Amino acid sequence: MTAPTYPVALPTTPTPSALRAGLRTVLHLTANELRLFRREPVVAVSLIGFPLATVLVLAGVFGDTPDPEFGGVSPSDHYLAGYIGVVLASLALITIPVHLAGNRELGVVRRFRASGVGAGALIATEILLGAVLATVAVAVVLATGAAVYGLAMPVDPLGVLGWYLAALACCIAIGVALGSLLSTGRAANALGNLIFVPMFLLGGGGPPRDVMPAGMQSVADVLPLTHLIGGLRQSWLGTTDDPHALWYPLAVAAVAVLLAVRTERRRAG
Amino acid sequence: MPTTTLSPSPGRLEPRSRPVIEVRDLHKRYGETPVLHGVSFAVGEGELFGLLGTNGAGKTTTVEILQGLRRADGGIVEVLGLDPAVAGDRLRRRIGAQLQDAALSDRIRVGEALRLFASLHPTPRPLDELAEEWQLDGLLRRPFGALSGGERQRLFVALALVGRPTLVFLDELTQNLDPVGRRHTWDVVRRIRDGGTTVVLVTHDVEEAERLCDHIVVLDRGRVVADGTPASIVEALGGATTVTFTDPDLDVRPLRDLPGVDRVDRHGAAVRISGTGPVLAHVGAHLVACDRPALDLHAQFPSLEDSFVALTQEQPA
Repeated sequence: MTAPTYPVALPTTPTPSALRAGLRTVLHLTANELRLFRREPVVAVSLIGFPLATVLVLAGVFGDTPDPEFGGVSPSDHYLAGYIGVVLASLALITIPVHLAGNRELGVVRRFRASGVGAGALIATEILLGAVLATVAVAVVLATGAAVYGLAMPVDPLGVLGWYLAALACCIAIGVALGSLLSTGRAANALGNLIFVPMFLLGGGGPPRDVMPAGMQSVADVLPLTHLIGGLRQSWLGTTDDPHALWYPLAVAAVAVLLAVRTERRRAG
Repeated sequence: MPTTTLSPSPGRLEPRSRPVIEVRDLHKRYGETPVLHGVSFAVGEGELFGLLGTNGAGKTTTVEILQGLRRADGGIVEVLGLDPAVAGDRLRRRIGAQLQDAALSDRIRVGEALRLFASLHPTPRPLDELAEEWQLDGLLRRPFGALSGGERQRLFVALALVGRPTLVFLDELTQNLDPVGRRHTWDVVRRIRDGGTTVVLVTHDVEEAERLCDHIVVLDRGRVVADGTPASIVEALGGATTVTFTDPDLDVRPLRDLPGVDRVDRHGAAVRISGTGPVLAHVGAHLVACDRPALDLHAQFPSLEDSFVALTQEQPA
């Protein structure tokens, strides 16, 4: 390809700086997507309804009396703190991949790309959208759970915030990677549910680690969600039996980002 | 009159205005399958240009490369003076595109889509004017999923034009339109061109290309097989004009000496003359001069469709 040679006049109308224009594009796209999500009750069911119903049942079954099998904290606190991670897992494995793959399948991504919306702006929109949706969903789950069963204040609020942001980043990266790899919304939905159910059961949303057999504990240890929920519980409750090595989910997220970039480059060919 | 070159050694029509698109020796393959074999053409500023070809001819791949949505394997491409593979989004913000395989979320409303795409441009067109032009003003609150094929098509064209592009790509524009909508769309496309915007119309509809385009490139199996104005393509392919009339007593031998006449046949009273150029005028003048003006003098001219069928059936793969 040669460098441009034609003396075709560029538009004389002054345009905002690229950064400001890009930010404005991301904000417009995110606002649009949020408006569309409001019209799609299925998203609220998977992102809020399922975790909320499950945590209310589990906290109700195991009660709020401190229990050694739950690391010495009350089961309701154990579950409510941990279900921040379950909401994020639902975002990573179902909401984002179904949205991304579905939009690509329908030609929505293509429509935006043809109008000069770059891949960076589309990814940034997905990140902002994921952050808003997850934060609203987490707030609803925690507020409802706290209203029903009560919830201890975080032992280390900054730690909770740090683990929340790390978990959010990891989950969005995994979601974007899955959305890039899968070619249809239906495939993303099927695979997402297939991964989500065992991950949430073994990764901190199901039975406490101490009642799991050793084999199941080994499987749980390789799930990034286990470490994210472990970190959230450690900083919120001051204690947990769950492993919580921050480097591990971050490494999984880094691999996910590489996979997404590679897939998108191949697709552009 | 611009020249037209036909394969097997395709040249190209040099645009009369400054070129806004230059394609030289473009190659593309998908895996082991070659799709474009050395495609070359140029589009002048302000032209209504038609990229015509059968399904699978390589039209969509070509325009995707022109928009930087797909990478070429070889050749030189310049659009508005930029290399699409390098300029990417910077170029796409300056052009408008109505794509064949694009869609919007079923839940977005027409008005929301117009506002959203307008927000991507620094100086968008007034939305009420655009909605009226494309007959969308009564549909602004209707979700995309509830639109008919024709309504969707009109919305996509409006989205392509919202940013006041200097160059617009329209891919299979009238595919889902009824005859009335089709003619309305043709009128508006002419108005877009008349307003100074260069239009690239990608189509397999020969009638549409012939009626609308100033300049046509015919693609067949990834090769340019014709490049010229619709009239020059028909003329260069050598299609015959056929003139018929009935006159049981006319001496037909002098007709053979008229300019452009290749063949004269008589079947009873019916006379049939084949030739090129203004054969009808010469035959008519001859009949008047003989004082035997035929009441049923009739001519059948070669069409672009005849040329298109001949080009796309005869070229070697």
